[in-house]
Amino acid sequence: MTSQTTIVIGYVPSPVGEAALEAGLAEAAARGDDVVILNSPRRRSTVDAELIDETASDELVARAAAAGVTARVDQSDHGDDIVETFTRVAAAASARLVVIGMRRRSPVGKLVTGSDAQRLLLDLDVPILAVKPPR
Amino acid sequence: MSDEHSRPGGGRGDILAELEAEVAHELEEQRPPAGGPAYQVAAALVTLAVGVLGAVLAYGYGLGSLRRPGPGLWPFVISTAIIALSVVLLVVGRKLTDSEQFSRSSVLPLAGLVTFVGFAFLLPVIGFEIPALLLSIVWLRFLGGESWRSTIAVSVGTVAAFYALFLYGLGIPLPHLF
Amino acid sequence: MDAFLDGFAVVSQPENLLYCLIGVLIGMLIGVLPGLGPAATMAILLPIVVTVDPVAAVIMLAGIYYGAQYGGTITSVLLRLPGEASSVVTVFDGFALAKQGKAGTALGVAAIGSFVGATFSIILLSLSAPLVASWALDFGPAEYAALALLGVLLIATIGSGHPVKALIAACVGLLFATVGRDSFSNAQRFSFDSMQLADGLDFVVVAMGLFGVAEILYNLEERHGKVHVPAAVNNIWPSRKELKEASPAIGRGSVIGFFLGVLPGGGAVMASLAAYATEKRISKTPERFGRGAIEGVAAPESANNAAATSSFIPLLTLGIPANASMAMLFAALLVLGITPGPQLLEERPDLFWGVVNSMYIGNVLLLVLSLPLVGIFVRILRVRPAILAPITALITILGVYTINNSTFDIFVMIAFGIVGYLMKKVGFEPGPMVLAFVLGALLENNVRRALLIFDGDPTGFLTRPISGTILVLFLVAALFPIVQAVRHRRVATPDETHRREDSLR
Repeated sequence: MTSQTTIVIGYVPSPVGEAALEAGLAEAAARGDDVVILNSPRRRSTVDAELIDETASDELVARAAAAGVTARVDQSDHGDDIVETFTRVAAAASARLVVIGMRRRSPVGKLVTGSDAQRLLLDLDVPILAVKPPR
Repeated sequence: MSDEHSRPGGGRGDILAELEAEVAHELEEQRPPAGGPAYQVAAALVTLAVGVLGAVLAYGYGLGSLRRPGPGLWPFVISTAIIALSVVLLVVGRKLTDSEQFSRSSVLPLAGLVTFVGFAFLLPVIGFEIPALLLSIVWLRFLGGESWRSTIAVSVGTVAAFYALFLYGLGIPLPHLF
Repeated sequence: MDAFLDGFAVVSQPENLLYCLIGVLIGMLIGVLPGLGPAATMAILLPIVVTVDPVAAVIMLAGIYYGAQYGGTITSVLLRLPGEASSVVTVFDGFALAKQGKAGTALGVAAIGSFVGATFSIILLSLSAPLVASWALDFGPAEYAALALLGVLLIATIGSGHPVKALIAACVGLLFATVGRDSFSNAQRFSFDSMQLADGLDFVVVAMGLFGVAEILYNLEERHGKVHVPAAVNNIWPSRKELKEASPAIGRGSVIGFFLGVLPGGGAVMASLAAYATEKRISKTPERFGRGAIEGVAAPESANNAAATSSFIPLLTLGIPANASMAMLFAALLVLGITPGPQLLEERPDLFWGVVNSMYIGNVLLLVLSLPLVGIFVRILRVRPAILAPITALITILGVYTINNSTFDIFVMIAFGIVGYLMKKVGFEPGPMVLAFVLGALLENNVRRALLIFDGDPTGFLTRPISGTILVLFLVAALFPIVQAVRHRRVATPDETHRREDSLR
């Protein structure tokens, strides 16, 4: 019997984050994993519109439970940049997989503003499932 | 949030005091821990020194009399007030908690200060554009933890905006290189 | 009355209207942004603002000050983060309402309350100012000296921070004001043979250092603030029932605000606290407070705007600034070549009524703009503070250079910035120091002139009726906090409260 494994889902309240959540929950339900929903704040900001409040966070946990998955929401501040954040959380949970959502970007758009998803794909050691929202 | 609000109005002082305590609690969240009595004593000693220095110098300027006040009379009176108040502070101030500890992140204001001084030296020599760019880069990248992409973009944009604003928009002359 | 109407003619000139709009927009913006307060912003913008026409400049600076009172509410309600110290109390019920999905109600009531409070205050200001000014025209040096002394003392004691520390800061400010040439004897004081110090310290430079640079350096240090999630704004306007509930609170708040604002050292923060406490005390259901009582938003918001407006009275009629922001206005007037005092009304009625009437218009603008702009302000708050920091720093350092094209000024500003930063770290407030510095020359000159008149007899101050009364008030104000401290021994450190409050200014 294998020990309990965990996957980390990076969530933001947008179609991109929703896509990641759907895919992640489906994957967890299929394999019987626990889920850590990561929604941590961008450090040094005053306001972060990608953070969810308590009500929303409870709803997510309930949704996971409805799909048969035990989930918890992690909103603590983990580090200065996104790769560090995911690395720490994945290590702490001994996650076997990270699920993130990706926006469709043009090469020029990525050049000008940078792409967090790209950096994660390149730098993160844990396997990544990158999901795009439906067109 | 304010669930401790169970007491109905007592005397006027009570509600206000309760309120002030809550407000203090609200504002506590973001501050570093209070410095200890050492901070308070040090501060009081510094102000005491200022008072003594002021009094000595003022005496040297001549006190004159009340009828014909000399240049030193007013500063002397003020300095003695400072001395007296500093002594009071030494006595009562030890247990105050309104100071803040210096911590590792206190290096940041120091670095900011150094950039200010550097700017002041460079401004008359090479104009404002380059020192402003350098200051901006240091503040964004090193003091602010921004990415290089964001740093360069904002720095160049800011200097350009200031160039346009001061030299063209407001017509205020600044020493400039370009 | 004619002058009053002429004032509107002044205000309706396009240039003045424009600067009024700019001022209130900037004011709202810094009210929203944590870190900089109206006094610091006015200090930083002073060198730029004084290059335009005096009336426009003062209109704009005034707009920054009362505009900030509107802006601070937005973050209090939506983020539980008070943008200004005077909006701290609004957090209690405002944020509770937001969590119940009624953020729009809270913001709407706050905006209306602010408008009513400010307008009420302006009307009283328009009526009372000419009376006060004409009465004060009879003041002689003794009266001025007593008044300035009372002002400094009130600011030190009632105002923020520990009274002893504030008094020390004020005295040091008075001491700094003596640097340079003594106007009576032409002797040099504390100038250490420096040519640049021989003319004294420029108070714009000092203010920019103590308020601007000190604040900027202080903000650089990492504060472990939480990151906030903005509450959604669903309904934009309060219902008629809610407005009816809020009306008495708005009325009471306005009155409280007006009277506390006139008092030097009182001001918007104290007014908002007092108004909230009053509502809670006279309410039949005080347990609602803190859980979304509409009066808990209406009263402090009306009070803080009323107080912000009425704090103009001592400056415009007597030439005594009531708080740090008014001290900046005082400095601006001096730089523009206008001497504040009772004669201001007579000598420059265009300025006086232009500014007063601009407040009517400014408040209308704020009422109209504050709600639609909420979304934009929340978006602006998403910009990380680290990005705004160098911009503010550059405005400050370039601005101070442009005053006299002098690098020495930059160094003086930096020096005072260091002083201000260290002061904040050890629990001293820069406000009383700036105020005392700005008033220092006035105070000293009047004291010496009075002594010359009394032929060296200091009891002359007491025998003249007006100055005697003022000095008695001075003693009351000096002893009152000591009496209070003895009576309320076990109360949780109120000095700390004020200290933290003022750090948000």
